[in-house]
Amino acid sequence: MKMAGRNAALLFFLAPAFILIALFYLVPLAITVYVSFTDMQNWSLYTLRLLPNPLFNYARLFHMMLYDPDFVKVVYTTIVFTLVTLAFNVLGGLGLAIAVYLMEERLSGFFRGLWLLPRMTPVAVYALLWYYFFLGSRDGTLNAILMALGVIDKPVQWGTDPRLLPWSAWAIIIYVNVLVGVSFGMLIFYSALRSIPWEQVIAARVDGASTLQLVRHILIPSIRWHIMFVTVWQLLSLLTTYAHIFLLVEWGVVDRWWSSTWALYVFTTAFGLGGGGPSSTYQGLAAAAAVILALVGAGLGLLALRLLGFRRMIVPPKGEL
Amino acid sequence: MRAASRGAITAIIIAVIVVAAAAAIIAFRGGGPSATTTTTAPPAPPATSPAAKTTAPPTLRLTGNLEEDVVNIGRFLASHGVHVVKYTAFSKGDPNSVMRVYAIVEAAYRLNKILEKHGVDLRIEVRPVFQRGGSPKAEDILLAYQQGTNPDIVALSYVEIPVLAENGAILDLTNWVSKYSSLWQDFYKALRDAVTYKGRVWGLPQDTEARPLYWRVDVAQCIKEKTGKDILAGLAEKIEKGIVTWHEIYEYMKLAKETGCAEWGIIHRKGSAHPDLIQFIYAYGGRLEDPKTGKLVLDVPAVYKWLYTEWKWARDGLIPENMMHWDWAKQIHPTVVEGKTLIFIGGTWHWTEWQTKPYYTDPKTGEKRPLTAEEVKKYFYFTLFAAGDHGDKPVTLSQPFVWVVASNAGHDNPKYDELKEAYRMLAFLLVVKASDPDINAIHSIISAHLPVRHAAAKLLNDKAWLEKLKNLQLDLSPEVKKAIADIVKKTVNDINVEFLAKASKMLEWTHLTPKNPYYGQLAAIFADAVDKVLRGELTPKQAINYIIQKIKSDPRLAENVEIVGSIPENWKYP
Repeated sequence: MKMAGRNAALLFFLAPAFILIALFYLVPLAITVYVSFTDMQNWSLYTLRLLPNPLFNYARLFHMMLYDPDFVKVVYTTIVFTLVTLAFNVLGGLGLAIAVYLMEERLSGFFRGLWLLPRMTPVAVYALLWYYFFLGSRDGTLNAILMALGVIDKPVQWGTDPRLLPWSAWAIIIYVNVLVGVSFGMLIFYSALRSIPWEQVIAARVDGASTLQLVRHILIPSIRWHIMFVTVWQLLSLLTTYAHIFLLVEWGVVDRWWSSTWALYVFTTAFGLGGGGPSSTYQGLAAAAAVILALVGAGLGLLALRLLGFRRMIVPPKGEL
Repeated sequence: MRAASRGAITAIIIAVIVVAAAAAIIAFRGGGPSATTTTTAPPAPPATSPAAKTTAPPTLRLTGNLEEDVVNIGRFLASHGVHVVKYTAFSKGDPNSVMRVYAIVEAAYRLNKILEKHGVDLRIEVRPVFQRGGSPKAEDILLAYQQGTNPDIVALSYVEIPVLAENGAILDLTNWVSKYSSLWQDFYKALRDAVTYKGRVWGLPQDTEARPLYWRVDVAQCIKEKTGKDILAGLAEKIEKGIVTWHEIYEYMKLAKETGCAEWGIIHRKGSAHPDLIQFIYAYGGRLEDPKTGKLVLDVPAVYKWLYTEWKWARDGLIPENMMHWDWAKQIHPTVVEGKTLIFIGGTWHWTEWQTKPYYTDPKTGEKRPLTAEEVKKYFYFTLFAAGDHGDKPVTLSQPFVWVVASNAGHDNPKYDELKEAYRMLAFLLVVKASDPDINAIHSIISAHLPVRHAAAKLLNDKAWLEKLKNLQLDLSPEVKKAIADIVKKTVNDINVEFLAKASKMLEWTHLTPKNPYYGQLAAIFADAVDKVLRGELTPKQAINYIIQKIKSDPRLAENVEIVGSIPENWKYP
């Protein structure tokens, strides 16, 4: 009886969370899976019927992956973009956090504010800024600077010149995203560093620890949990991010295929290519691609947790607390 | 016990997931608007099924005499206690295109006059909703239709018709239009085709445009001075007759470049192959659709010639290799308005765009400003898009806006279920009246679009009528006069009207792009292929293989595209 009452209480308190999770996570997930089994197009509910072969959209994607000369670029771009941007966002965020932690407080505040600017800037404005920066004409800021310095004698199409692809397009989309993403890690790591008891830092210094030793043996071990959180969070965010890339691709400053990530492919398939042409939208196909992305994301998330020793971190500490 | 409680919680979580998933699936399978089994062309909901659309009660029959029809419907509705009928007209466009909705307001004003004259106690009210932007999208209209919140009459791009028609969201007007055959026949042939889908008529043309080749007069003059060759002499006629083709134009472009008269031979749009560059397929005698099967066509010989032409230009430095990535405002338009190219593949709307946007850097002040109407006339000569080879025909391409009537037109009015046929007919008559030549001509002039009817095109040459329009002395509803007064002041000038009158003749040569839902996907592949040949990344032959590979890699697209013909090995350009 006592146990039944306990379970009822448990259920009572957990129910609101369960309902919210079901409503806003599981139901949309179920709908996405269902739509992936249909031929839904142009947002028409009339096309929302199960296909005779419900796995047709998955087969279609697999077929494109094998035979479409451009689709494979989406796969490569997704892998490179996610991993490289992740490394920059986590390591860069960590480096910045340590740098501002070690700085004088007033200077530190200024630098933190500076790095937050890209995140505070509206996406369209931010993307427009980089569009003009990398524009492949004399009007492009980078070209104008390099030509004024005599480094180049004619404009370079940074994001679209086949001789520079895919590296230049990848570099641009990674660079633009890193400037936004790195501030997230910086904020989390900086607050984590600030929560380390100051006495530990002073003690290390008194014991003669150099800055490098301080960082290596005191600071980083103290924020392992935060590093794991930022890594996993950023990994999943990067797998699904597309806003900045979409605008750069849409405006033609970077090569369409060497800059399209899987998430952007899902978006453009569901909502249209934009630009000058007429476009039908294929929600069934987009949903299938989204389901694959969700499965890959879940798998990578679990793998990251495993590699970063999540299980070890949640083991109850030995000894009495 | 602890394990048992964990098990119970897990079981509850799983139950919640299963229930949620089942609810979602049931909601979609059971609650969806369709219970049919076809996958490609679901019929309309029963209330709006095509068969029911034009089957009116005996008292409601269209005769083709507008006055008689509106009076009959008016009396019918009044006899059922309806004295005010409300409609919503919706469209999008640049601010000068407000007549896309105010034409319906004006039509209501004119129909109300007829009703009043005959003593019919009925008044039509139209709520115009106009937004800035491109065409309303079929998906948005369809979503609203599914919720019953859609507008009654919409002006949108003709390419949106299939989605709306296939889903039963718009009326099949075929039988009613057949009663108004004189109006129907007065629309340009290509525009009649634009509103026809699967042999049925789904709307009436509203406005259109054409895509001329713009030639810089000063560059041509410079060539004449340096070489003695007057390329513009009778050029429009030579192109019209197919004497000057893209082969001769290649030579002109080379002259422009070699004499230093222009930096480039030709400039065209960026980003998309649709619709400007698609003209090459028609100009080289190709096609994009098989009328028998309704499938898209990859016409290999025509597409190869198009790609080869662009590839050759880029190799000879006549067009920028990165043309498809140029910036409209910073590169394309300034290059054109400052005379750095001999030719620009543009659209009729550019004529006024260059007068309103500051693309031109004034050499005297160094400041950016728009060109004046006089400068545009002075600098630009325009022709049809030339034939590809000798023996082919010149072309242009249009993307008309059309009026469609919602299947549930008048749904906000009383006794809708009982009287819906009358409401639908009345909505159709509004569209018929909105197609009056003067209304269409006013829209053309103030928005720089081309008229869709021969009768409206004639009005553009009527000086007395134009003078009245300038002073707004025409008999228009006060609401419409107020809406267009400022636009009329800015836009009605002789140079622009003369341009529209001349450009409207191009509609006799116009082509349309397919209304096939997979056309956009195919056009995007063409755009990638053009980009690759311009850059020299692929040869024209490789580009054709690339296009074929792209089509075949998507099973759905492959089902919908026929690949016809082969690369013409003996063909030479120029």
